[in-house]
Amino acid sequence: MSHQAIIADDIVLKIEELSIAFGGLKAVDNLSFQIREKEVFGLIGPNGAGKTTAFNCITQFYKPNHGKIYFRDKNNNVTNLIDHPVHEVIKLGLVRTFQNVELIRELSILDNVLIGAHIDFKSSLFSQALKLPKAVKEEKDLRDEAIEVLRFLGIENRKDLPAGGQPYGILKKVELARTLMCRPKLIILDEPAAGLNDVETVQLAQTIRTIRDRYNCSILLVEHDMRLVMDVCDQICAISFGKFLAVGTPKEIRKNKDVQTAYLGTEDDET
Amino acid sequence: MSTLLQLVLRSLETGGIYSLAALGIIIIYRTSNMTNFAQGTIGMFNAFVVTFLFTVSGLPFWLSVIGGMISAVCTGFLVDFVIIRHTKKVTPVAKQIITLGLIMIFLGITPFFFGVEPLNLPQFIKTGSYNLGGASISYNGIFNILFGLGVMLALFYVLQKTKWGLAVRTTASNEFTARLMGVPTKTVTMGAWAIAAVLGVLSGVMVAPFTSVTLNLMDGVQINALIACVLGGFQTFYGPVIGAYIIGIAKNLLVYYVSSVWGEQLLYVGILIFIVFRPHGLIGKKVIKKV
Amino acid sequence: MNKKLLKNPYIQFVLFGVVLSLLPLLVLFGILPSSYITLIGGVIIYSISALGLNLLLGYSGLISLGTAGFMGTAAYISAYFTVNLHMPFEIALLAGLIVPLIIGVLVGLVSLRIEGLYLAIATLCVSEILRKTFEELSFLTNGFSGKTASYPKLLGFINLTRDTSYVLLVVFLVLVMILIYNLVNGQLGRALNAMRGSEAAAQAMGVFLLKYRLIAFALATGLASLSGVLYVHFIRFTYPTTWTMGMSLNILAAIIIGGVRNIYGTILGCFIVFAVPDLFLKQIPYFGTMNGFAYIFNGVLIILVIMFYPHGLIYIGNDIKRLFNKKKGKV
Repeated sequence: MSHQAIIADDIVLKIEELSIAFGGLKAVDNLSFQIREKEVFGLIGPNGAGKTTAFNCITQFYKPNHGKIYFRDKNNNVTNLIDHPVHEVIKLGLVRTFQNVELIRELSILDNVLIGAHIDFKSSLFSQALKLPKAVKEEKDLRDEAIEVLRFLGIENRKDLPAGGQPYGILKKVELARTLMCRPKLIILDEPAAGLNDVETVQLAQTIRTIRDRYNCSILLVEHDMRLVMDVCDQICAISFGKFLAVGTPKEIRKNKDVQTAYLGTEDDET
Repeated sequence: MSTLLQLVLRSLETGGIYSLAALGIIIIYRTSNMTNFAQGTIGMFNAFVVTFLFTVSGLPFWLSVIGGMISAVCTGFLVDFVIIRHTKKVTPVAKQIITLGLIMIFLGITPFFFGVEPLNLPQFIKTGSYNLGGASISYNGIFNILFGLGVMLALFYVLQKTKWGLAVRTTASNEFTARLMGVPTKTVTMGAWAIAAVLGVLSGVMVAPFTSVTLNLMDGVQINALIACVLGGFQTFYGPVIGAYIIGIAKNLLVYYVSSVWGEQLLYVGILIFIVFRPHGLIGKKVIKKV
Repeated sequence: MNKKLLKNPYIQFVLFGVVLSLLPLLVLFGILPSSYITLIGGVIIYSISALGLNLLLGYSGLISLGTAGFMGTAAYISAYFTVNLHMPFEIALLAGLIVPLIIGVLVGLVSLRIEGLYLAIATLCVSEILRKTFEELSFLTNGFSGKTASYPKLLGFINLTRDTSYVLLVVFLVLVMILIYNLVNGQLGRALNAMRGSEAAAQAMGVFLLKYRLIAFALATGLASLSGVLYVHFIRFTYPTTWTMGMSLNILAAIIIGGVRNIYGTILGCFIVFAVPDLFLKQIPYFGTMNGFAYIFNGVLIILVIMFYPHGLIYIGNDIKRLFNKKKGKV
């Protein structure tokens, strides 16, 4: 059943009345927002606001108790993500990073990126085991693509080094590279600025814009770092205690009284 | 009815043996964070010590057992001091393999000290049985049941009511934090290994009269002790004890009433099915991982 | 040109096989004692099983202590098919694979619910059920008297001898090495590694955990079964007491000592655990005849390797090379 009409043509993700509770505590309460195509969208809120929980609901690591999550997939079909198991979400074109940088230490950076291409491998186990020509070509093509992505992010020279032991900033780039392999429609970044210094954060903002332009995708940023969010986002949604607070442009959010009260500090702090 | 009673009494004895061994495994698991596959083999070695003292050196039974317990304490201390203490950086799987190395070492030093001939250890109370409602249970059996229960109750009392027991429970809960709080975790681990070894030799002495004292003495007990821990759950100290008694009773009942040759397999199949429905054992609690 | 050829991993595997196959020749010329063929043959058989377990433990991060049970089941079934049912070796081989495979897949199915240590002991439980079944199912296994079989008869008419059976073992080993190499260096290997390293990341990248756990268990069980069949047709007899927890633990130790996720490491580990005691230790004067010396030595070796060489002895080569280069650099 197609939900084609339910979301507007230029919307890629629409959260409707999303709610999830853990043992009586409502972590996300009736949250709604929507993200347009090619939009960089920020989700902000103080610690414990429910950003990560909302995010895990969207990516189907948690199944919400209530609500709908409409997504316009790569084939332009609108589907409710809740109908899908967690490992199928990437096939629709929705991919995420992890705050704790979940890379495989023993594998090379290139192999880690190739994990992002897992769903692109069509050859059977049998042809992989016997190294039939189709499997060999597929591996080579995807390998080349992965190297290209690493080059785009400027870390191609490290491709054969094991991921374990690399500096944190590099690891975050590898995770980013991994998400790009599936040519996503929506990338969700889980606190991408965590652990980065000022210079790296500015570079990250630039990288986000470049990715959006080059891959024609939307980016949902779940983040604490206000400067990054204000700098790079087209729209921002603020939540607090799992509830919707406000949505708007960075300028509008900065001026919003509710948001300010929640965690931006008193009016005196803002210039 | 009397057969049932007899079976139950016999099961309490078997269950007691298994639970002593299972306690040994769970104590080490919760303090050193490793599964001691060598629990049975170390128990076997120290059971040999007891048998040697009794049959060759001619010491009275109770003194031989004390000797075995002292040997067990020394073995436990040595193992912890020389090896376990230095395994902080070892992966969990590799820790299990270390205990495999221990199995081999003890399988090697046992024939070195005691030769390759099987020995015999008689029952503590050699003769006499008691009639309870038509069921007959040997005095030795009664002693084993009560002794096993006594040891366990003493252990649980120590765990719950004494300072050392608190130290053990704290270390079991979180070793790192315990150390930060000033708990002498090194002593706790050493004590745990010593106690586990003592539990091993006691269960070995209790099972020895049913068979002969050979390298394979504790094989059956070891496996059932491990399964008792899975059945009862690794999260508590008393879970495996309950699991052990359940295994003891179920095994004897199944073997007698259902099939003498397939009884044990049926029991294991039953336990496997149970585990599928309760993956953390009877008393287990699920640990939720945050993404 | 020659050097590049030598660096090709497939050429290396084949060369390795060729070297192994020379053993019967060495025995023929009296350079090595005849017992070495049985010994090294055993190492090869265990290596095949260990390569399967490595796929499960090293790559997928799943502990199984049921290896011995699967090997034994395959061994008995193949022996029964050739001796009692007079089926050809090839059919017996396939038959030997089927039953363990079904059980292995069942274990894989529950492996998402049962984790870590519980899974390990559950597999031990399965292995014990199988072992006790070997004792009781006399019509199939001959119970405690043991079951005998003969060297394989290929294609219905080629009767193998001990030496040619040994070469068959080598052929199977090389094939398995190539297969495993191809699988772990491609999509499957990455998916299994991802499953081990981070289930969350694996799922986010589209790895269906259940499917890949099933594949891992199927492959591991299949290889264990293959090794069981080869065992019974090379050693030519088997008892229920062969397939104990001890054997499963030894195979586990072998892959850890040699080096997980390393094909040559697994074989090296099997050599150390299964051959070194008989090859070297028994020959050492005085100690060799001491009761239990071999066990003590092996046990100490295992512990030393885990504590000081946690990545496995296969990397000793690298470390020696590095030491060499360091010394060279200083001059």
